[in-house]
Amino acid sequence: MKAAAGSGAGLTPGTRFSEVTLTDHAGNERLLSELVGGDPTVLHFYRGWWCPKEQAFFRRLLRLQDEAEVAYSRLLSVSVDPWRVSAAFRAGLGARWTFLSDEDRSVQRKLGLRETTDTVNNPYVPTVFTLDPELTIHACYDGYWFWGRPTEDELTRDLRAVSQDIRPDWEAPTP
Amino acid sequence: MTPVWLALTDERPAGVGAAALVEENGRPAGFLVAWDQRAKPRRGVLRVDPRLVDPDGEAAWVSLVLVPTEIRLPFDDLAVQEARRRVLAQPPLDGVSALMRDATHFEGSIAVERGERAEERLRDDPFGRILPPRLLRVGEGVLGATLPPVGPVMERYGSANPWPGDQFEEQGQ
Repeated sequence: MKAAAGSGAGLTPGTRFSEVTLTDHAGNERLLSELVGGDPTVLHFYRGWWCPKEQAFFRRLLRLQDEAEVAYSRLLSVSVDPWRVSAAFRAGLGARWTFLSDEDRSVQRKLGLRETTDTVNNPYVPTVFTLDPELTIHACYDGYWFWGRPTEDELTRDLRAVSQDIRPDWEAPTP
Repeated sequence: MTPVWLALTDERPAGVGAAALVEENGRPAGFLVAWDQRAKPRRGVLRVDPRLVDPDGEAAWVSLVLVPTEIRLPFDDLAVQEARRRVLAQPPLDGVSALMRDATHFEGSIAVERGERAEERLRDDPFGRILPPRLLRVGEGVLGATLPPVGPVMERYGSANPWPGDQFEEQGQ
């Protein structure tokens, strides 16, 4: 996998993702490591509710949600939208995972993930990371062009690989 | 993590966290008691997500669902699954936990909320669609506020771990 576009902070597979604090869709300050907990996680940065490409990609994540809910795997979606906007978008989508707001773009600056071609919204460049519980990046996907985004199959493979690494009883105990 | 147990009692027991309960109509409804200990403290107690119990917690409204003893409702019952999904989808409350006696049955739930719209919000308690809930006012000193579950996981992290507890104590589902 290649590094995300604009990833000045060196967000490449095998490196550790920065610890960051963001506001969740209920207005609580949340630490990334606390949100990831002990599970494989899809960390998704998106432009905003208004982007048709994001709406299409969310439909993909919603399908994944129906499997992740029983697979001890987490999803996190981050944008620069205010948290109340994120809450409304989340509710409209029917998402059951945590949406995070970086309204002041401080985390965006830290990560070097501003989409420089959109000078109106200054959104995140669409990027998806899969992480292990130590926040180590397993894979990253540059979604500036839509086909750069991970398919459900790619995300499933990533989540399987991380699960295999972190679950000591991955091979089912048998008599 | 040390298990935490909840029970409703008629008398306030000494030496443990307890808070008075009051029905919506103002009638006293006994006490909500919490024990933080590995051994089961008495008959009839139910395990709760330990994060929900806080001796410094403020007074709150609760929606309490208790499954009658003559009903055995599997934790994996589709209605219980859907209630967990609805909890994750809705705007979060101050806290929620399934209540458990063993590793396989749903014995009830407790949802906690504070603020002006607490009663109104608790009327949408998804677990209240399984069995009629009691809406009660609970005094300070037992229930805290938790951060919302991360989602979308609606499984328990170990069958004896009350949902939405989100860490495996030991490996294995």
